[in-house]
Amino acid sequence: MSTTDHQSGWKNILLRYETLLLAVLVVEWLFFYHYGTTTNRRGVFVGFGTLDRQFDILRHSCEIGLLALALTPVILTAGIDLSVGSLLGLCAILFGKLWRDGGLTIPVAAALTLVAGALGGGLNAGLITVLRLPPLIVTLGTYSLFRGLAEAITHGAVTYTDFPASFLFLGQERWLGLPTQAWLFLPVAAAVWLLVHGTATGRSLRAIGFSPEGARYAGLPVERRVALVYVLSGFIAAVAALIYTARLGQAKADAGTGYELFAITAVVLGGTSIFGGRGSVTGTLLGVAAIAVLKSGLATLPVVIRLNAAEEMSGMLTGALLLLALTGSILPKILSTLRARRQAG
Amino acid sequence: MNPSIRRLGAILVLLGSLVPALAAEAKLMITMMPKAKGNAYFISCKAGADKAARELGVELLFDGPTDSNAAKQNEIVENWITLGVDVITVAAENKEGISTALRKAQKQGIKVITYDADALPDVRSFFVNQATPQGIAYGLLDEAARLMGGEGEFAIITATLTAGNQREWLKHMDVRLAEKYPKMKLVAVRPSDDLKDKAQSEATALMSANPNLKLLMAICTPGTPGAAEAVKQAGKTGKVKVIGLGLPNENKRYVHEGVTESVMLWNTEDLGYLTVCAAVALAKDEIKLGATSITAGALGTFEIKGDNILLGKPYIFNQANIDRFDF
Amino acid sequence: MNRYFREISVTIALGLILLAMAVLAPGFFQPQPLLSLVTREAPTLVVACGMALIIISRQIDISVGSQFSVCSICAGLLAARGWPLGLVVPAAAAIGALLGACNGMLVAGLRLPSIVVTLATMVILRQGLNLVQQGAFVNLPDSVQWFGLSQAAGQWTLVGLALALLLVFGLAMRRVAAGRWVYAVGTDAEAARLAGIRAQLVTFMVFVLMGTLAGIAATMNIVQSPQVQPAVGSGLELKVIAAVVVGGVAISGGRGNVWGAFAGLLLLACVSPALTHLHIEAYWEKTIQGAIILLAVVAEGLRQRKSKGGRE
Repeated sequence: MSTTDHQSGWKNILLRYETLLLAVLVVEWLFFYHYGTTTNRRGVFVGFGTLDRQFDILRHSCEIGLLALALTPVILTAGIDLSVGSLLGLCAILFGKLWRDGGLTIPVAAALTLVAGALGGGLNAGLITVLRLPPLIVTLGTYSLFRGLAEAITHGAVTYTDFPASFLFLGQERWLGLPTQAWLFLPVAAAVWLLVHGTATGRSLRAIGFSPEGARYAGLPVERRVALVYVLSGFIAAVAALIYTARLGQAKADAGTGYELFAITAVVLGGTSIFGGRGSVTGTLLGVAAIAVLKSGLATLPVVIRLNAAEEMSGMLTGALLLLALTGSILPKILSTLRARRQAG
Repeated sequence: MNPSIRRLGAILVLLGSLVPALAAEAKLMITMMPKAKGNAYFISCKAGADKAARELGVELLFDGPTDSNAAKQNEIVENWITLGVDVITVAAENKEGISTALRKAQKQGIKVITYDADALPDVRSFFVNQATPQGIAYGLLDEAARLMGGEGEFAIITATLTAGNQREWLKHMDVRLAEKYPKMKLVAVRPSDDLKDKAQSEATALMSANPNLKLLMAICTPGTPGAAEAVKQAGKTGKVKVIGLGLPNENKRYVHEGVTESVMLWNTEDLGYLTVCAAVALAKDEIKLGATSITAGALGTFEIKGDNILLGKPYIFNQANIDRFDF
Repeated sequence: MNRYFREISVTIALGLILLAMAVLAPGFFQPQPLLSLVTREAPTLVVACGMALIIISRQIDISVGSQFSVCSICAGLLAARGWPLGLVVPAAAAIGALLGACNGMLVAGLRLPSIVVTLATMVILRQGLNLVQQGAFVNLPDSVQWFGLSQAAGQWTLVGLALALLLVFGLAMRRVAAGRWVYAVGTDAEAARLAGIRAQLVTFMVFVLMGTLAGIAATMNIVQSPQVQPAVGSGLELKVIAAVVVGGVAISGGRGNVWGAFAGLLLLACVSPALTHLHIEAYWEKTIQGAIILLAVVAEGLRQRKSKGGRE
């Protein structure tokens, strides 16, 4: 069996996994469209099938989606970034402070926030590449640090509100038919897709994920590439912070708490291996969509609402889906081991 | 015809006529959202609300975040909009955070009432006000001053540093301190995250850091038993006095042991009861802005001031009276 | 010296903080508040012992906080039904063991990555608990508090129990074959397998042990309070992982011990009361804890760089 055959085999499996995920998504969508769309007791046409709800799903998935996009290249290199949710919180606070207390205009404050996000990612990158520390521990530390700074800046008490309508437009209105933030999300998604799938850098990320030593011997600038993904992750977290602030109309120190876990779940559900080297941006996007549709869809089923179970059931089902996806992802490996044994025997 | 068959027929006809009547007269659907649904304070609100719902024949849905979380409150309001309920009542975790969702509810003709903690005034018809912030702040501070003899150090344990109503109470206390009790010194304000354990460790640390501390004041309900437990464990019963907001049942033990001097609270069951009564009256167009009073079933009449429905004065529970209350 | 560099340096850091407190705020050292502090941290120490084993075996368990909550609520419900504590503790430990076994089966049996498996079980357990319990507190009968002992005796019992468990694991990891297997599996699972160690079984048992300890810790926690809150234990996983890592257990497996985890836990637990005594505002707490974690790993990184000129 030649190497190229082997690789195209992997590619097929990847394709198959993504197709499967797409099928799950479609089934999910149709299920909720059927059972979650009603004319309610006030005579209003409500639920999953309304355009409003569909746009809401899009709106809500933009922030988690951005973080998941940020995490995909990171996880491809066999790294992890637990600090994205905290960095989102810190960036939201910085933006609010720069605008209100610093007296800057919205665009300037936003630009500085993006720089701050990249710097936050740079801190992770520096510790991980210069000192060769494990990403899990570094980002666990910055997870505490960034959130702590957000609380320290606001004394845990200040909430920045009363942003101008022109800024809230980004998070709460529509532009050219779609929720405004989608127009920010789509180019980021396209850029990350291009980076991962369309450039030599993207290929090197996967090589690093498979084996950093091998990549180094092959002459790849491993440290530079790894640093890049963490800086990018911080930058995207800052973009998510702006969208989050615009959607809720407020910046508070607890913004984005727990988002890192949702984002990691989406990436892994999307078929990216937590050990690195294997995965795709398309899968991540499908993973984000599957989780968002599940969460929003459950909340449109009257039975679920009356049982006070929307939040709980969506959490449990997402967890179960994740375990199922994991088990499914090792099936080809088990099968190929069996086949190899048979051939050997 | 056999009389028993005739009777059966009559019953059937009667039942048949009832069915469409029942369908047409669908029960009002009222919802109630606490800040956190496990909190004993809100569970006793729910007890009162359930009672009112039974008496008035309406359906009551009670749901909220498991921890105090403004974003989750929004999601639940969205769900209720989908269900098309008649009235939404909310204890808002964060004024601004909840208001967008409530505005959307109002646009669809759903009536909104806030209780316990208000949202922005334009997104709700009435606020069932358990006590004015000034009343609570002054009440607690005056009680503290009485116990401390008007001088010395004291510390405050709050829920979270971000909670709107707590910040407002603190503001009023600062004013009162400067005006009336210049010899009293507030040495620290510590958050307890609405958790008894955290309140206890904060209280322990406060006592050892401030040896001259004369009094601990908890302005959230889990904080009061937490502070009392800390004082008891430190063996400082009587030396450091404890007062605060709290439910009688949670604090009885400490009040009888002399650890906690007094607990202040309104009747939370009545708060829940009154909120549901107001919601039903609003749904049936029985109260409008400008009304000066509302009748709430067994509890009698309550005053309305502007768009605030007033529950009445907070009550001080102490050794003499605490056993008379069970909530 | 070199071998125990991390354990020693964490202990020195802890000593320096305590020394600083002795100079700046001697009030910190009153016996009663300190006893309260260690009593409250006693259950965390028990969980940290389990987490140290998990990480030494090159796995991770993010679901401990949820396991802790489920065990707390179950133990509370049983106690409220009048079960004596002598039965409640083993029952909670058994429930914990069962939850740990679920993780262990998925990780060791199906060879799935533990970080993702326990991420999923964390969410499933937490949300399942919320669904069933709807956030309601469980009220405990008076007899449960402090094991029905007096306050002081109860506190000493808890601290003693936690230290006893620490001692057992500290010794067992060095002197018992099973303890060495954990190091072997964490260092190189394949080599361990070739050496005749059943690596997957060891991994499975470590997860079961983690669950059991979470169950025991949960009962050690509920006796401290007349009520059990379902939110108890949320965030515990990160606190414990941080303590273990600050204490010198390598996330890449095979290195570290429970003594270091103990020192790491004490170091992080001191931050909050120390801030109060120094009259620094509460909102600096998380920043300082984050900085301690980063300092600990940076120190490690610098040392390894110096000694080996880079790890890999």
